[in-house]
Amino acid sequence: MTDKILAEKNLIVRHGVLELIEHWAIALSGLVLLLTGIFELPVGKRYYIIDVPGLGWSADFITSLSLHYAAAFVFTVAAMLHVFYHGPRGEKGLLPQKGDFAESITVIKSLFGFGEEPPMRKYLPEQRLAYAGMAFIILMLIISGLVKTYKNIYAPDLSHTVLLWATWIHNIFFILFFLAFLAHMAAIALRPNWPMVRGIFTGKVRLDYARHRHSLWLADVEPVQEPPALTVAEEQAPPEPEPEPVQEDSTKD
Amino acid sequence: MKEPKQLQIGRRSFLKITAGAAALSSVGLPKKAFAGTNKQLSTLIDLSLCDGCVDRKVPACVSACKTINQNKIPQVAEPIPEPWPRKTVEDWSKKRDVFKRLTPYNFIYVHKAEINVAGRKKTVFVPRRCMHCDNPACATICPFSANHKNKNGAVVIDQDSCFGGAKCRDVCPWEIPQRQSGVGIYLKVLPGLMGNGVMYKCDLCVERLAADKSPGCVEACPREALLIGTRNAIEKVAAERAGRMNGYIYGKKQNGGTATLYVSPVPFEEINKTMTKKPGQPDMKVDVPRRMAGTDPLAKAVLAAPVLGIAAGILGWLSSRGDKTGKEE
Repeated sequence: MTDKILAEKNLIVRHGVLELIEHWAIALSGLVLLLTGIFELPVGKRYYIIDVPGLGWSADFITSLSLHYAAAFVFTVAAMLHVFYHGPRGEKGLLPQKGDFAESITVIKSLFGFGEEPPMRKYLPEQRLAYAGMAFIILMLIISGLVKTYKNIYAPDLSHTVLLWATWIHNIFFILFFLAFLAHMAAIALRPNWPMVRGIFTGKVRLDYARHRHSLWLADVEPVQEPPALTVAEEQAPPEPEPEPVQEDSTKD
Repeated sequence: MKEPKQLQIGRRSFLKITAGAAALSSVGLPKKAFAGTNKQLSTLIDLSLCDGCVDRKVPACVSACKTINQNKIPQVAEPIPEPWPRKTVEDWSKKRDVFKRLTPYNFIYVHKAEINVAGRKKTVFVPRRCMHCDNPACATICPFSANHKNKNGAVVIDQDSCFGGAKCRDVCPWEIPQRQSGVGIYLKVLPGLMGNGVMYKCDLCVERLAADKSPGCVEACPREALLIGTRNAIEKVAAERAGRMNGYIYGKKQNGGTATLYVSPVPFEEINKTMTKKPGQPDMKVDVPRRMAGTDPLAKAVLAAPVLGIAAGILGWLSSRGDKTGKEE
């Protein structure tokens, strides 16, 4: 666990270096995959994208494919590393929990001024749901992409049925990935979420923000305030007698 | 080397032998397998035999192909939706009789090459159509997998799922597929914004192959200049004929190898000099690299990526456990 309070700087570590690397590797390679995936459609010439300075290659499908492969390599390594590093370590903070759906609605309503936010853990309930959704999208993109890649090199005559499944899964989840990316950007645009943006760049968020919004997380991280240890004399001293209960006069008021 | 008997006889016997071999190897398999649709096939075009059917208005192979495919393209939308923003429309529906180039209504044409060989004028006729490449970029790069290479080697466009983006034509070294706007599935989606018709080209008469018939061009050739058979058999014949005529082979290495082998008594460099690459009229350069081969190393890295990622994750986890144990100690 990387979470650590830096009280003197009013910060708390939310993401370790490896988590930041994983996030940005997937995010940046994902953007390259989106762009080159779009350029694998015949849009470069039709939409005059080739006339945009620096995008003359957008109608060269082989160049786009090379970039797509390079990004897919980074994307896949990062995704697999993420699962097979954090999984065995038992880091399950991003996995959906019971009641997340209902709680997400409460949080989203509160973002627009309706009701109070419930106390939250390190990740918001909608973040956990979004993570599961994005993980599924990424998994489907990787599996279908691997089938298509294998076909490109070794099996151009691969079963057409298998190929059509891989192709349409890849195409549909490409659209879902794009929509998920837009939703991710929309979440960042919401003011209450701004303090978390700093975290994905530096790994740290403001401690006062975390205390206010992620109180359940802080309860796990902050050391428990133990009562001061008793002296021997205090231990041996007889307990003070409890005060006599005061009989309140119900007729006083 | 003595030419195998069945190959000396010609295409009909050749097919019989092929079918016979298929029958022997496919006892108990459905009829489709018997028809040889899963055996890798190749075609041979012997330029020493093709005379361009000079006595006919339209060469026999072209005529047969046109007849077989005359009803392939459905009724073209009237008017054809104008694509946006680039307003390219390719409509051959009113020029269906064109036979001297490739069009959506004409999948094969015959090029006439006048060549000077050692000071002598020689005329060679070159039937041109899809080469049915071994690893066809036109098929592998199709975003909807509408273009697919069959087990028998035929590269076939499914006109029901093709959007007519012409990507296949862009990546084909010979720019073979031809577009007909105003037909196809794009009309039912976003015709103004996405797609622009259907791409058409030779499909090696896959339906006829499934019915145990030769492709139309092969069957129609009066001089048996075109042959079809198993890959190995055709390669043997091509090598044998080229050796006998001290000639040349085209299609074996071009674009990484194809299922169409040309045999010629004159060098293909000379034939290519008579060709000017134009829409629907491919040239015949000898040096035709498979461009997608350049992406293969990266593609192999992608296939290895899951293993690398898993290994890195597990090693990282084990390493972090070691660190933790050390700290605890």
